[in-house]
Amino acid sequence: MEDLGKIHQLIVHVMGHDLTFNLELMIMTWIVISALICFGFLATRKKSVLPGPLQVVGELFITIFYGLTEDALGKERAKKYAPLICALFMYLLVCNWLGIIPHLEEPTKDLNTTLSYGLMGFVIAHHAGIKAKGLKRYLLDYCEPIFFMAPLNVIGELAKVISISFRLFGNIMGGSIIILVVSYLTFNIITPPFLNAFFGAFVGTIQAFVFTMLTLVYIAVQVN
Amino acid sequence: MPYDIQTWVKVAALSGGGMAMGFGAIGAAIGEGYTAASANEAISRNPKLSGDIFKAMLVGQAIAESASIFALVIAMMLLFTKFASHVLMIPVLLGAGLSMGLGAIGAGVGAGYPAGAACTGMARQPAVSGRLTTNMLIGSAVCQTPAIFALVVSFILLFTDFSKSPVSPTWAAILGAGISSGFGAIGSGLGGGLVAQASCDGISRQPLTATPVTNVMLLGQAVTQTTAIYALLVSFILMFKTFPATDLIAPPMALLAAGLCMGIGAIGPAIGVGFAGKSAVDWIARNQEHVADLTRLMLVGQAVAESTGLYSLVIALILIFVV
Repeated sequence: MEDLGKIHQLIVHVMGHDLTFNLELMIMTWIVISALICFGFLATRKKSVLPGPLQVVGELFITIFYGLTEDALGKERAKKYAPLICALFMYLLVCNWLGIIPHLEEPTKDLNTTLSYGLMGFVIAHHAGIKAKGLKRYLLDYCEPIFFMAPLNVIGELAKVISISFRLFGNIMGGSIIILVVSYLTFNIITPPFLNAFFGAFVGTIQAFVFTMLTLVYIAVQVN
Repeated sequence: MPYDIQTWVKVAALSGGGMAMGFGAIGAAIGEGYTAASANEAISRNPKLSGDIFKAMLVGQAIAESASIFALVIAMMLLFTKFASHVLMIPVLLGAGLSMGLGAIGAGVGAGYPAGAACTGMARQPAVSGRLTTNMLIGSAVCQTPAIFALVVSFILLFTDFSKSPVSPTWAAILGAGISSGFGAIGSGLGGGLVAQASCDGISRQPLTATPVTNVMLLGQAVTQTTAIYALLVSFILMFKTFPATDLIAPPMALLAAGLCMGIGAIGPAIGVGFAGKSAVDWIARNQEHVADLTRLMLVGQAVAESTGLYSLVIALILIFVV
């Protein structure tokens, strides 16, 4: 049960400050990135009208997420944001599924990962909002419905980052803690395959989709 | 007559177990009863399908019951595990029991709604029963998320070593963490259930809209969970922040109040957000052309309904960090 709070860290001293690196997290993230690059390379290597199996999977992702982005943002903006949305979903999906393989851990189990993607979505959404509406209109929107509500609107926007990143983090970390505790209670005999299928494959897929859709919706709310 | 610490720990374990299963039994029973009622209605409308409806009812009830099974697991652990005799184990055991017991209420009731709607939907539109079952499974599994948060908080409380922390403010922090995540899960479970119910209903009314309905359902359910996530955040801060030892009565009470404020404050907004999501999903099924407009209106309305939950979060954080 000592695994519950264990984090592999590398601490470097630079000019009187401690820089902390979560080594395991970085390795797992690079595994995910290289898996996605391999997938992209293999799926597009032999492009043909009669697609191979990997090309079909790639086309499926792209068709679905281009469609969803067009529904939310309109045709013109979809060209710009759909690659981001598609890549975000595929990345999070592989991240959440990584824990199914023994000895590998989900990068999304760490709050640093989910918080950075939450912040990324926040910055992109507000950048898109400023570009679409202009700075003045963007700032005036904070004073809705009346000017002294502005501080609460700002807190509300910041709370979106917290809620989106804690949702993914809580679900994935909760799943892994439950798997850990139940395996400990049953002496690792019966549980892992079933629980891994539920928390890794099922909950992981839904949460990756929810995170992606929320990022898309935050952009759409800012733009329109 | 003074008792030793070990006796008090045993007392806390027993009462924590009792609370976990006692509160935990409320929700699932209501949800399952609702499902069975809907199944009866469905069979009387379309008696030929009674086999399929019966199966769907059982599957839906099994999912609605999972929150109560989490509570049963925690109650069993509290009753049959031998705990270290340390003063801080008393709030730990009570907090773990409260968190899981209260946390199971909402998810149990909520998961009953989509199961019931799926049964009536099958009677109305037997051709889509496969799609309906899938949608019901996804919807009620997402309803369980707040209960899973509560379970995680209980596990962390039970398996973390608090023996080095100072007794005085930490007891209140631990109890506050349990209360916050427990109460905070009630509304989100219920609200998520309302959204999922509308989606099952919508798919049976208009099977062609199944894809946008499921997508918006997931979005709406995700937003209903926001206040449960705030409650989880507050209980994480209460569990993992180290508080300086104190002899005063005010700091521990502030921490306890923070847990109560966030937990109870999360109930209403989540149910309100659930109503907004339910209605949006309902009308997307009937008015497919305006999915984008309806989704945007739903999200804006939910953001406004959620603002009171945000006030609770602000007050809870002030209570923890400022007072």
